[in-house]
Amino acid sequence: MALAQENVLIPDVGLRVKALESLLAEKGAIDPKSLDLLVEAFETRIGPKNGAKVIAKAWVDPEYKKWLMKDGTAAIKSLGYSGVQGENMVVIENTPTVHNVVVCTLCSCYPWPTLGLPPIWFKSAPYRARVVIEPRAVLREFGLEIADDVEVRVWDSTAELRYLVMPMRPAGTENFNEAQLAELVTRDSMIGTGLALAPGK
Amino acid sequence: MNGIHDIGGKHGFGPVVVEQNEPYFHEEWESRMLAMMIACFGAGVFNVDQFRRPIETMKPGHYLLSSYYEKWLCTVEQNCIDVGIVTREEVDARHKQLMKEKMA
Amino acid sequence: MINKVTVEMMPIVLATGDPARVDEPIPAKFKEGDKVIVLEVNAPTHNRLPSYIKGKVGTVTFDHGVFVFPDTSAHRKGPKPQHVYTVTFTAQEVWGEAGHPSDRLYADIWDDYMRHA
Repeated sequence: MALAQENVLIPDVGLRVKALESLLAEKGAIDPKSLDLLVEAFETRIGPKNGAKVIAKAWVDPEYKKWLMKDGTAAIKSLGYSGVQGENMVVIENTPTVHNVVVCTLCSCYPWPTLGLPPIWFKSAPYRARVVIEPRAVLREFGLEIADDVEVRVWDSTAELRYLVMPMRPAGTENFNEAQLAELVTRDSMIGTGLALAPGK
Repeated sequence: MNGIHDIGGKHGFGPVVVEQNEPYFHEEWESRMLAMMIACFGAGVFNVDQFRRPIETMKPGHYLLSSYYEKWLCTVEQNCIDVGIVTREEVDARHKQLMKEKMA
Repeated sequence: MINKVTVEMMPIVLATGDPARVDEPIPAKFKEGDKVIVLEVNAPTHNRLPSYIKGKVGTVTFDHGVFVFPDTSAHRKGPKPQHVYTVTFTAQEVWGEAGHPSDRLYADIWDDYMRHA
């Protein structure tokens, strides 16, 4: 039985990755230099700061927000964020009566162009198994206590739509500009396991 | 398929463990795996559905214990075999050779 | 047909991705507001239907348009394009008394996974 099919972890998995990469390069299927470029893109440019800029713009610009809610993909692309795992974007808005939280129970679908690569907990069995059946308990572990009369909406990304939560704009930020607001928008607040930060925190 | 990946609503996995200040990659091979996945996807080796299928058919124990990047290795390797770029024997042989070199 | 991704192509691959959308005028089987039952799909082949909503009644909330169908696509048997909808379920429809009375679940579901309730 081949190594990768055994009912245990692959031994020296990093070396098997290296084995596959070297074979694919020799056979002309990949260019290792283009792989370097890709790693650099994820380490430097693709991350939740992108999503934070989208949210901050929507907070200050009602026309942009309208567009973002209607056609998330196009509105997000207009700021330069598009492509792999962000091909079809839907933005869902938190309000005083609705709290949204996103999961992918079947794998780990996540909007890469706006949030980067998912954290391990998002891909983990406990989060994927539990947040659909006991979202309030999971959110409590993240420090969020959701009142009984607030509706919790759990979005399971079962298809090719990718969801970005628009958290509520924190109180006391009336005089903040877009860049200052973006600083308050955390990754977790755009997944729904957190809120935007209060100013000064 | 009613596979091990279909875990929404299952009990018994325990609390959600959050790693503070999690780095993008814990080991270098994870970043190579990410890049190889996108390069193979871009080259037309698989689409999103063909990518997911071999992950779902991993042995349940392996699926539950492995990291996501190890799952990606399984599916990228399987897809490369399916479209005829490499054989399992070639990957096994190169893997064994690299492990041997490391021990030497 | 394998087309190696070069350094020059990589930014384009990254910025384009795999939209999975199909630009064909396929009619929708359901419309927003329809009550639907999720089918008991139990084939050993690939699908994108979580077990916890099989057999449950939900409401079509949004029609996202036409997409590739994973069940055929995963097995290299063509796109079988069809509509994908966001369907809303009450937490109690899905989980019974374990569900909070205020809460809802949203899942994206293809035409072939549902029938009218």
